[in-house]
Amino acid sequence: MVDDARLADLRRKFGRAPAAPSEPAPAKRTPREAQPRFRGLESGHRACQGCGEALAARLVVECAGPDVMIANATGCLEVFTTAWPESAWRVPWAHSLFENAAAVASGMEAAMKAKGRNTKVLAFGGDGGTYDIGFQALSGMLERYHNVLYVCYDNEAYMNTGIQRSSSTPHAATTTTSPAGKERMGKRHLKKDLLSIIAAHHIPYTASASVAFPQDLQRKVRHAMGIDGPAFLVVHSPCPLGWRHDSRLTIDVARKAVECGLFPLVELERGALTNVMPIREVRPVADYLKPQGRFAHLFSDDVRAQEERDHLQALADYNIQVYGLTGEGQDPADTGGAAAVGRSGRAPRGNDGAARRVS
Amino acid sequence: MTILTRGAYGEPGTSLAFKTGNWRSTERPVHIHAKAPCHAACPAGEDQQAWFAKLQEGKAEEAWRVLVAANPMPGVTGRVCPHPCESACNRAALDGALAIHNVERWLGDEAVKHGWAYPVDAPAADAPTVAIIGAGPGGLSAAYHAVRNGLRATIYEAGPEAGGLLRSAIPRTRLPREALDAELERLCALPGIDVRFRQRLGRDVSVEELRAEHAAVLLAPGCQEGWEWSVSGAVPADHHEGLALLKEFMDHGQFPSARRVIVHGGGNTAIDLCRLLKRSGVEEVTLVTASALPGPDTDPADVINVVPRELEEALEEEVAVIEHATVNRLVMRGSRITGAEIVSLKKVPGPGGRKKRVSFEGTERVVEVDMVIPCIGERVDPEGLNGLVKRGYLRPDDAWGTLGEKLYALGDARGDRGTVAEAIGDGARVIGAITARLAGAEPLADGRAEMPASGLNPTYYERLPKAKAPKLPIEDRTFDTEIEGDIGGTATMAEAQRCLSCGDCLACDNCWTFCPDNAVIKTVELARDGSHYLFDLDFCKGCGLCAAECPTGYIQMQPEFAVETA
Ligand SMILES: Cc1cc2nc3c(=O)[nH]c(=O)nc-3n(C[C@H](O)[C@H](O)[C@H](O)COP(=O)(O)OP(=O)(O)OC[C@H]3O[C@@H](n4cnc5c(N)ncnc54)[C@H](O)[C@@H]3O)c2cc1C
Ligand SMILES: Cc1ncc(C[n+]2csc(CCOP(=O)(O)OP(=O)(O)O)c2C)c(N)n1
Ligand code: SF4
Ligand code: SF4
Ligand code: SF4
Ligand SMILES: [Mg+2]
Repeated sequence: MVDDARLADLRRKFGRAPAAPSEPAPAKRTPREAQPRFRGLESGHRACQGCGEALAARLVVECAGPDVMIANATGCLEVFTTAWPESAWRVPWAHSLFENAAAVASGMEAAMKAKGRNTKVLAFGGDGGTYDIGFQALSGMLERYHNVLYVCYDNEAYMNTGIQRSSSTPHAATTTTSPAGKERMGKRHLKKDLLSIIAAHHIPYTASASVAFPQDLQRKVRHAMGIDGPAFLVVHSPCPLGWRHDSRLTIDVARKAVECGLFPLVELERGALTNVMPIREVRPVADYLKPQGRFAHLFSDDVRAQEERDHLQALADYNIQVYGLTGEGQDPADTGGAAAVGRSGRAPRGNDGAARRVS
Repeated sequence: MTILTRGAYGEPGTSLAFKTGNWRSTERPVHIHAKAPCHAACPAGEDQQAWFAKLQEGKAEEAWRVLVAANPMPGVTGRVCPHPCESACNRAALDGALAIHNVERWLGDEAVKHGWAYPVDAPAADAPTVAIIGAGPGGLSAAYHAVRNGLRATIYEAGPEAGGLLRSAIPRTRLPREALDAELERLCALPGIDVRFRQRLGRDVSVEELRAEHAAVLLAPGCQEGWEWSVSGAVPADHHEGLALLKEFMDHGQFPSARRVIVHGGGNTAIDLCRLLKRSGVEEVTLVTASALPGPDTDPADVINVVPRELEEALEEEVAVIEHATVNRLVMRGSRITGAEIVSLKKVPGPGGRKKRVSFEGTERVVEVDMVIPCIGERVDPEGLNGLVKRGYLRPDDAWGTLGEKLYALGDARGDRGTVAEAIGDGARVIGAITARLAGAEPLADGRAEMPASGLNPTYYERLPKAKAPKLPIEDRTFDTEIEGDIGGTATMAEAQRCLSCGDCLACDNCWTFCPDNAVIKTVELARDGSHYLFDLDFCKGCGLCAAECPTGYIQMQPEFAVETA
């Protein structure tokens, strides 16, 4: 039972306006209600200024919804969208634990199947919840071939508990548990190649996307939504707080990660690489590192700084080579073409947002 | 039904009750329509960004209507304007400035071809009238803007036709008469414009008379008199002044015969004359100019003041140029010229910050020639302008052209102009001032800031190749056929897509797409600033992301306090 008196008391205490879910809908739609897109994740959430994860989740739900339900792992996304007694979600959404989003989603999917309903189940997790603690549940979900789209919002550390390193944190980044100092230049180990591990489950679709390329991201979501089986999407989502960059630079930083080769945008089907976003003009890794405080020590006088920068450059070069990211001239699907806009949202020349197919 | 325990659920979308807008600490996003640099640079006051926007939507006639809100003669300026807009264009930093003049010309010609109606209404029968002296581009533009502002205009023109120097001096190879006639005829036929030919100020009408009859008198007589040419020594019996010679050629199609000619000066008259002389068969044509040819290290203030394309073509056509020099003395045999003494010279800083010219002793040389033509500029013919001409020009007090009570000057006659576009811009400015003053107010200048290339986000613009106009090969150039061709409708539409929309929203949706807080609301109906978007400040946390990712610089972060009081 809802304890009305206690609820009213709490609301008074915390100064929140009472939610009025049962109020009749106003006759005229407000501009917000009239938005020509699905508002699956609403305003009023408590993400930091310029949060890449909040943006990524909105972009995903916007084109996946409305007929979806979500199992969300513990983490920033879960916390900032659901400050009790409010919710920013406008789709069925559940949170259970940090480690079990994929398991909960598996159950939800089984229930939908039992009820004969087509509602697509999504599972959301941070990189901690996906690369690390929820990994076993995820592997099981993929192996049992549940019809679930799992989206990992990769901000490359455990942000909600105060920036601890995860297996997704890039090499040489500072976090509270991999601090740069006398002993080490930030994280000693490498970012886990999760995509290859996921792809090894031989699932229909595995892809990476970035908030800097929303059309490409949404195309991937739409493609995954059409798959009857497990699909996995990792979205690179800068965290101004944890990466220590200006909040206005979220998109800029995300784009540079793709353009330098450190975060390749790729698609794999049944384990095989089928598509990449070519980089029109490859930029030096330093362009990506510089605006971020978590890499500031790589630009200090420390003798080890150059070596670590070179190491990250070598990792980016490796990605470019392994995934074949070098562009060929001017391609509407490369990093330059995919970003292009025109009047009324149209790119000036036929950019359908489709990336280059690799054979 | 199972009832969940409290704390276990929330109703959908209820976070809207929590206004995160109060997290903004110092800055909020604001839509700011800054001036596009092309617009800021256009002497005729065109807003190229605005008409390119219409073309991007595929609306050619609307684009033309936006264009002619400022400049009623795009067919003319598209052909002869030195297009400072292109020099200012922000796209230069990306992959080349827009071919603005080619598109402008296409729009002008298209309007003539289809008879698109000028956006003017007939003024009231009892509307205030203005009297305009001179039917050059300045006077015509003033008449047009008068009608646009509900006034009537009477033009008094000394000659038998309208156009001023456009007709009498600018060669047909740059401005074919059909193009000029078509545009001017349409303009002169507008309701409320009365052009009276063969009416000379001084002879047929007087300033005082006109001032008594009209709400204002506008002086746009141009500069018709050559400055005296002073070289040490004799002046030949058959001395020809440049502009007079050019006008004669325009009328009769003939030059006095000569084998080697020096043209002395550094303006459009000099270059046009050089090219026509060369084409008419003069073996050696040399331009002697005190200025410099444009180069990477040339001080812009020192560069020869001509339409860049014209200079380029003159060099192509093998007109020789001696820069930083002047004609010192003529070498005569009897009353005939056999040579000219040239001396090197430069403009150097002089007292009071003004430049002075110094010729360098020991650099004198004699060149064999049989004609020297000075093109050193013209001044106002003082007839009928009793006491108004100061040191050769009318020199009004301000940009509005104010000369005195109900009296205005515009165009070349001001003394600080020299292009068609400036004369056209003056027409609009003078009428703006008159309209404001008739309403008991003072005219206001557009004080908006300009949008620099650094204020744009170049990421979002696809590289697109620049349109290239066809050009007549040198050997085919005559005295009539136009040298630069039309780029055509397809290239025009493609070129328009290259416009970056500097400083104005292009409805790209970036802000709407990227805001992590859904604080950008898309609405065509409610956005009152010309964009399609609203900021919902109840939820905007002030992260600044939209401003960073706005391609056009239309979103700027501004201090909360400044916005509050603005
Ligand atoms: C050879 C040459 C080439 C040029 N090329 C270019 C170019 O490529 N691009 C460019 O932008 N500019 C060019 N110019 C400059 C441009 O032509 C002038 O800046 C422009 O025409 C000035 O316009 P206006 O209306 O002030 O005067 P004008 O064009 O000189 O018109 C003045 C009019 O007033 C009339 N008038 C004069 N006195 C009286 C009177 N007392 N009573 C009645 N009517 C009178 C004249 O008959 C004339 O019709 C060129 C000029 C020359 C000479
Ligand atoms: C089993 C368990 N261990 C630890 C926590 C504490 N915890 C909550 S959120 C979080 C970090 C989440 O990191 P990530 O999954 O990367 O998501 P982010 O907050 O970065 O978006 C941790 C460690 C928890 N809730 N449950
Ligand atoms: S800590 Fe990072 S991920 Fe979490 S809400 Fe803030 S910006 Fe977003
Ligand atoms: S890009 Fe367009 S708006 Fe910007 S300066 Fe050039 S023509 Fe003007
Ligand atoms: S981001 Fe695009 S839609 Fe938004 S204000 Fe700028 S130009 Fe307009
Ligand atoms: Mg994380």
